[in-house]
Amino acid sequence: MIQLHNVYMSYQRDAAALSSITMKVSKGEFVFLTGVSGAGKSTLMKLLYGALKPTRGQVVIDGINVTKLPPSQIPYLRRKVGVVFQDFKLLPNRTVLENVALTLEVLGWSKKDINKRVYHLLKQVGLEHKINTTPLRLSGGEQQRVAMARALVNEPKIILADEPTGNLDEASKDQVLAILKEANIKGSTVVVATHDRRLIDSCHKRIIVLDKGHIVEDADVSG
Amino acid sequence: MSRDKVAKRPKLAREGAGGRFRYFLERALLNIRQNLLVNLITVGTISLAFLILSLFLLLYVNLERVTENWSDRVQVAAYFDRELSPGEIASLSGKIRAIEGTAGVTYISRQEALKRFSGRLKGQESLLNGVTPDILPSSLEIRLKRDSRDSDSITTYVSRLKKIPEITEVQYGEEWVRRFTDFLNLVRFIGALVGGFLVLAVVFIVANTIKLTIFSRKDELELMGLVGATRWFIKAPFLIEGILQGVTGVAVSILVLSGVYMAFLHNADILISFNPMLSGLLFLPIEYLAALLAGGAALGFLGSLASLKRFISL
Repeated sequence: MIQLHNVYMSYQRDAAALSSITMKVSKGEFVFLTGVSGAGKSTLMKLLYGALKPTRGQVVIDGINVTKLPPSQIPYLRRKVGVVFQDFKLLPNRTVLENVALTLEVLGWSKKDINKRVYHLLKQVGLEHKINTTPLRLSGGEQQRVAMARALVNEPKIILADEPTGNLDEASKDQVLAILKEANIKGSTVVVATHDRRLIDSCHKRIIVLDKGHIVEDADVSG
Repeated sequence: MSRDKVAKRPKLAREGAGGRFRYFLERALLNIRQNLLVNLITVGTISLAFLILSLFLLLYVNLERVTENWSDRVQVAAYFDRELSPGEIASLSGKIRAIEGTAGVTYISRQEALKRFSGRLKGQESLLNGVTPDILPSSLEIRLKRDSRDSDSITTYVSRLKKIPEITEVQYGEEWVRRFTDFLNLVRFIGALVGGFLVLAVVFIVANTIKLTIFSRKDELELMGLVGATRWFIKAPFLIEGILQGVTGVAVSILVLSGVYMAFLHNADILISFNPMLSGLLFLPIEYLAALLAGGAALGFLGSLASLKRFISL
């Protein structure tokens, strides 16, 4: 599902954010990407949803070579990938319904179908009663669950979560993790970038450790 | 569950160009409602900028009208020391009308000339005691077309007129025409200069106001890209919003201008015309209003397009 071959990424000359990254994530896998701040986790995530192109090497997502993808085709790649951010990226002047609906509006769904689907998703993340609330009236954990609903609503093949629990309390972290696990059980390939050791230890999933832009460990502890 | 396809895709809401346009229009209207304050500020700024421009246009249009009225006084007269026979009048009028720039020819007999003269001396008619029509010349008064009333055109016209053998004496108030032409050129030059600066200022203000509006929503643009929206899907509602902002801004400025016109200007002709024949200041002609509205729409569209380019990386 995700393949990186000898990927090298640098923002400036002589300073590589990622170096010789070769990795493969199979369909339906759940992977933690970890490492200290500045290790290259976010850069790697950005390569996976086409926000960046590698300086060298190949990035292949669901059979699509992102490296060679023209900008006009990137939206179609992103429709296969649900992304969750640490800062949620919710639109403050739109309701929870409208925020989650955005993903389906882009796909051209009818209003009626959108409402049905969004309500179903919000029920799954336990926020159906907040459907007409604006994000600013929600707690951090609730905001992150709305952001996750937005990422999951079109049942993407891949879910990328960049520090999804970074700003949350322990209870909210568990809820976020439960949602990601459920999406994984339903078939989505999940990649979570985090430096939260407790989160990683509670899951027993494959862990890829980055340090100074290199993969220093790739361990599958699911068994 | 298999994820080989992107979700179960139900029936699409916006099939065809009409459906898509309806969706984008609805989205634009919703965006305006959700960002009401920013939109009000934008429309207010556009209105103010266009109000200044349309006020200038109103004054310019009326000044042009006044000068056109003044230019009606430009006449060329060919004098004769005898009465012309109807045959001669017809023949000469035909030859004069054949000259380019002629709007009309009127024969003024000696009798008619005396009547006019005494008309001008109202109250002092006794001065004309003993004056008979034969001491006044008969004449052919020639009115010129608007574009032939400037100094150069009249000089050319008169030289052509003098080529008609029967015409020997021609008068047209050479000095007055020269001064009038200079004044007209000055008015047009100042008009073009001030108008040009105003148009530049309006373009600058409107484009930057729209840029700020879009900048305030750059998170929204980024997010749309992240959830898989294509470039045009992101741009279209913003472009429609830009057009609506431009048109609404201009419409408000026209409403305010018409309010000011009704309250103060429609009877303020004395301020600029010095001509009691004029009934009052004209409002902007319909083609000017249409051009202003089209200008507002174009500025809104182009301002949005230019700003969006900076914030959409797709």
